[in-house]
Amino acid sequence: MSEDAKRFLAPGWDFGTVTDKISSIILGPTPLSWFVGFGAAFAALLLFIFAVSATFLRGIGLWGVGIPVAWGFAIVNFVWWIGIGHAGTLISAILLLLHQKWRTSINRFAEAMTLFAVACAGTFPLLHLGRPQFFYWLFPYPDTMGLWPQFRSPLVWDVFAVSTYFTVSLLFWYTGLIPDLATLRDTAKSKLARVVYGVMAFGWRGSARHWRRFETAYLLLAGLATPLVVSVHSVVSFDFSVAILPGWHSPIFPPYFVAGAIYSGFCMVLTLAIPLRSLYGLHDFITDDHLELCAKLMLATGLIVDYGYVMEFFMAYYSGDIYEKFLAYNRAMGPCGWSFWLLFALNMVLLQALWSRRVRRSVPTLFVLSLLLNFAMWIERYVIVVVSLTRDFLPSSWGYYGATRFDWSLLLGSFGLFLTCFFLFVRFLPAISMSEMRGLIDERQEAGK
Amino acid sequence: MSGQLHGGDSFRRFGRRLQGLTGREFWRSLDELAGSPEFLEALHREFPTHSGYWDAAFSRRDFLRLMGASLALGGLAACGKPAGRILPYAEDPEGMTQGAPLYFSTTLPRAGFARGAVVKSAMGRPVKVEGNPRHPASLGGTDVFMQADILGLYDPDRSQTVLEQGRISTWGAYRAALSRALEAEAAARGAGLRLLTGSVTSPFLGQAIAEVLRRYPQARWHRFEPVSRETVYAGHALAFGRRLDRRFDLSQADVVVGLDCDLFFEEPGSLVYARQFAGRRKPQERMLRAYAAEPSPTLFGSRADHRLPAAASLLPALAYSLARRCGLPVPAVDTPQSCEPWLSSAAADLRRCRGRGLLVAGSLQPPQVHALAAWLNEALGNAERAVIYLEPPEASDSAAPLSELVEEASQGRVQTLLVLDANPVYGLPAADAAAALGKIPFAAHLGLYQDETARLCRWHVPRAHALESWGDALAFDGTASLLQPLIAPLYNGRTDFEFLGPAIGRLDASHDELRRFWSGRGLSAQDAWDDALRRGVVAATAFPAQAPSARRERLEKLPPPEAAAAELEAVLRPDLRLWDGRYANSGWLQEFPDPVTRLTWDNAAWLAPSTARRLGVENEDVLEISAGGRAVQAPVWIVPGQAPGVVGLTMGGGRSAGGRVAHGSGYWGESLRPASEARLLGPVQARKTEASLRLAGVQGHQLMEGRPLVRFATLSHYRKDPLFAKGERPGPTETLYGPLPQGGYAWGMSIDLNACVACGACVVACFAENNSPVVGKEEVLREREMHWIRIDRYYAGSPDAPAILSQPVPCMHCEDAPCELVCPVGATVHSDEGLNEMVYNRCVGTRYCSNNCPYKVRRFNFFDFADRQEEAYKLMRNPDVSVRSRGVMEKCTYCVQRIQEARLAADKQNRLIGDGDIQTACQQACPAQAIVFGDKADPRSRVAKLKASPLDYGLLDDLGTRPRTTYLARVDDPNPSLPEGA
Repeated sequence: MSEDAKRFLAPGWDFGTVTDKISSIILGPTPLSWFVGFGAAFAALLLFIFAVSATFLRGIGLWGVGIPVAWGFAIVNFVWWIGIGHAGTLISAILLLLHQKWRTSINRFAEAMTLFAVACAGTFPLLHLGRPQFFYWLFPYPDTMGLWPQFRSPLVWDVFAVSTYFTVSLLFWYTGLIPDLATLRDTAKSKLARVVYGVMAFGWRGSARHWRRFETAYLLLAGLATPLVVSVHSVVSFDFSVAILPGWHSPIFPPYFVAGAIYSGFCMVLTLAIPLRSLYGLHDFITDDHLELCAKLMLATGLIVDYGYVMEFFMAYYSGDIYEKFLAYNRAMGPCGWSFWLLFALNMVLLQALWSRRVRRSVPTLFVLSLLLNFAMWIERYVIVVVSLTRDFLPSSWGYYGATRFDWSLLLGSFGLFLTCFFLFVRFLPAISMSEMRGLIDERQEAGK
Repeated sequence: MSGQLHGGDSFRRFGRRLQGLTGREFWRSLDELAGSPEFLEALHREFPTHSGYWDAAFSRRDFLRLMGASLALGGLAACGKPAGRILPYAEDPEGMTQGAPLYFSTTLPRAGFARGAVVKSAMGRPVKVEGNPRHPASLGGTDVFMQADILGLYDPDRSQTVLEQGRISTWGAYRAALSRALEAEAAARGAGLRLLTGSVTSPFLGQAIAEVLRRYPQARWHRFEPVSRETVYAGHALAFGRRLDRRFDLSQADVVVGLDCDLFFEEPGSLVYARQFAGRRKPQERMLRAYAAEPSPTLFGSRADHRLPAAASLLPALAYSLARRCGLPVPAVDTPQSCEPWLSSAAADLRRCRGRGLLVAGSLQPPQVHALAAWLNEALGNAERAVIYLEPPEASDSAAPLSELVEEASQGRVQTLLVLDANPVYGLPAADAAAALGKIPFAAHLGLYQDETARLCRWHVPRAHALESWGDALAFDGTASLLQPLIAPLYNGRTDFEFLGPAIGRLDASHDELRRFWSGRGLSAQDAWDDALRRGVVAATAFPAQAPSARRERLEKLPPPEAAAAELEAVLRPDLRLWDGRYANSGWLQEFPDPVTRLTWDNAAWLAPSTARRLGVENEDVLEISAGGRAVQAPVWIVPGQAPGVVGLTMGGGRSAGGRVAHGSGYWGESLRPASEARLLGPVQARKTEASLRLAGVQGHQLMEGRPLVRFATLSHYRKDPLFAKGERPGPTETLYGPLPQGGYAWGMSIDLNACVACGACVVACFAENNSPVVGKEEVLREREMHWIRIDRYYAGSPDAPAILSQPVPCMHCEDAPCELVCPVGATVHSDEGLNEMVYNRCVGTRYCSNNCPYKVRRFNFFDFADRQEEAYKLMRNPDVSVRSRGVMEKCTYCVQRIQEARLAADKQNRLIGDGDIQTACQQACPAQAIVFGDKADPRSRVAKLKASPLDYGLLDDLGTRPRTTYLARVDDPNPSLPEGA
């Protein structure tokens, strides 16, 4: 454990300096680069708002969807963003329960990333409805006509899975924030900040009783969140595996989707952590060892995903089903074959670079890899959702899919939503948990004795 | 009360002041009016409290302006009681129940020939056309054009006013001008008077025209019908010395050999032939074997057991060769070796089936071929059995051709021309009618649209639609039937007779004249007249069969056809969607996928795969085709089964004045047609251009990929293995859920692939019945067409001479429906009678159901596709079917509104719904009776019996969806002596 503390926190830091360093990001002057980044993100958010308004006004006919490809970018984006949202909870909950101390410096922003990603994901199923004004019909609420959702539909399960996940993630994230909010309240110079942080800190005084309750609640929430890491993407995968469409109807989907989600989540952690630590000079808190561990987890989960690809092709052959066989052929050799080969090149070939320690220790390489592999995961969802739909049972109805500028605007715009939230988070809340970092120092001092 | 009346009176007075003003003048007057003391006084009287209240709060002037505007616009001109005594609708008038539809028999002619219809009228508005089972040319079936006539009736683009040189005029002004012109003609005994019509079978109109010609002895009658039967008449004149028409009785034939004859489309008896053909394609009974040799795939050729793609110019040689092989003394001609198997087999079958065979030639073929066919049929004893000769039902048979009219007009010898619904400027530009019309001082045009010809005539009079007219017409067998109007002319149209009436001094309404006319022809008694109207047929008016004999000595001397040497030739055929272009402004038909190419909105130049390779073109490349100094640019569509070296062109595209819908779709194939009116264009040159045009096809993939979708076999195979259509592995039947509750009925459908000729009547009928929206070419390109039933077309075998397989696909109403399982809000649910129901109001539009539907029959309203603005379309809609809004899914309902109607009728009589009480719209329209709907739980029902057939199979039944719609597998009857695929 003391080894961990050394690897994941550079020497020379004590309680005071850690707290000052992290809180100075919020209470100190805002660097120019933040404004540049925030401005770009906010511009993309405006694009998102524009595309959403246009969709509501005119209808989803603005998108590239048709019959047979009735689900397009919106569902691809949904699955992708939900996947991204997995790493946060995994780091927070499962690694907490497993006493993995390295989670300490990255858990806070990974949890925030989860929240924002799930929020982005949540917009798409709503937007993609033909009549979005009636989205609430998917909730079981008592209405005068005695109508209920149709509980056999995976889309209803989605509603529960995603909303539960979002709620638990929010609670977990906020609970962890409370001691830090109190620190900010105590450190802040401006009256406004003291009041705001004070209200948000719920009267935290750091007494032993507070800490005891805090620890219990945090552990309980971690226990509650752990099954959700597995369940959410399993349920999302049911959207596909419950359907009878070749390419969707596959029992391997739940584990394969969960692995893919964690994989893409860690990609995103790297994508965010690397610029964050260089922007605010947090190399001592987020060390190269952190990055390497993330890379290792990516490799492990990525290999499970690769296994899923192989199994899909094997089952197409082994089942003898003509539709499955055709699907496998069409994926690779059909008119959308480019998407499969792109996926293959990134997720199956490029991923293997992570076996090399040199690659894992090279920060720029990791950053580029994380971007590419995240893109590959988006393509994977495209292959599953769209390419399967283009050619199903009756060749007479085969079609093609082409995204429109509204599809692209929504995709790009969702980054705007995500990054805007993230920039605001970094600016106004501690991106690294001060209290847990202090815990790490405490451990080191104990070991040093 | 009295004060209000008084106020109303004065407002009416203000309204009158505004009447007749437009634009700026209207607003200026409104301003003045609102400020005038009288108005203020009237306003205070009418709204004493409010005006004072508003006075304080608002600027008085603003308020008065607003108030004045809303009063004047919101019915100021109309308020008050109508003149005369009116009665409330408290008791239904005789013969009408509020809300219950009425059905009227009438006649819808195509190219002059009658097809009987029964039209549904909902509270005075015609909303749906069905075939008239009593009419010999319909037998209850319809084609796409009859179905689309409803849309044609309401078409807001129809001509709505009399025009003189493009300016709005009146009927009175037209009549005055006409009588002046006719006075001058009377002096010259009509030397400058000409009539131009299409094919006219109407005895009533024929008699009126005859009277014109009697009054003006020097006047002449010309006919221009783009798809005419002239070659048939001329051929029979060659063979028999008499201009005769012919009709067929396929029920009498065991073998039919078609030489480019689309029996199921082009012939005036097409609906009947499809019915007879279907009746003879039951593999359990003796089957009719069909041969076809044709340049482009036709509906008939697609169903032939042996189809030979052959250039049109080769067909005379094939006819000679067949005749010689059947023992006629004709000279030997060379035919390509590749035709040998087809020729020998067809000839052998014709010889074998003496008296039970039939050789038919299409109207595209020259008279010589028709003469030869007539001779051969006589020699083989087929005449008066499978082929029946009759006097041409066309009254216009004696009319002179268009070319003579043009010639005389260009010489300035025509002073007065009356055009009755003919459009030579579009239909035959080579004749240069445009220039000739410019030289005619008084040219008047009667037409549904202000079309290309109307624009060049001095006068244009809107024509009443067939559904607005009194009239009559003859069917292909000569049977007379009446047209009765379902509605008063929507757009002030005049009937043909009313247009001609002033010329013969007959100004009575068409009805009275028609009644008088038929009084002299056996319908003098009111009962007889009523009966003819009610039944839609004038009894016993079919023409007697003629028994002409072939003039052998002349036929033997006919010069044999010259060997065709053209590298590339073109044929021009009526379009399967638009006919000759007169239906081009129908959105239903523009969006109806061509049964052969499955293209919508544009016609294309059809090329065989080998010809396309030779010309270096691919689909959607634009080809410039030229012949005789004329050229047209047309997008290419590669059609398997098209004869090599033949460009298949269709009519009806490229309208320049056809209406907003027709505008911009397709190319103008007619511009290549020579002035001789031939549709066989002979040698043409083709050049690839740099341009390309996106074509909106609805089926991108043409092969079945080894999947058992259309199951078919030869007759001999079927006899060996009658259960060939049954799937190898039945789908899984286990389910986690309990059985669904079963109601009193179990609705099901059976579609007989042996009967279906892929004409598409079901598709358009469904569109009409269910208020389906037209989405336009751009949306079809995005795969968003809204057809609830479609006809899939697959090819099997070699691309040069493939088997062409068609399959109508409506919703399967699966018992284990994949769509129902995945809908999150229960908007698609199962009824206890087995219907897979769609609850539009509950649908939130996730489209998950469509993704999970293996048949892809669900359609989604991606935009608000229904046209809610156009007033005329509001009248047209079926009141029993909701118009769907944006964002909801829809699909075939098995015409649930018809089920409900039958249920109500049965309930009132306290009985069960009987078999045949319900006909779905597709079923009712089908001329071949390929679709049967009913209660499959009742073992005596037709549908249950069909489902018990060994040929019955479910599409994708291996998925375990247990579809309620099933198919009867197709069995073809190729000549066993020929190798497979010949």
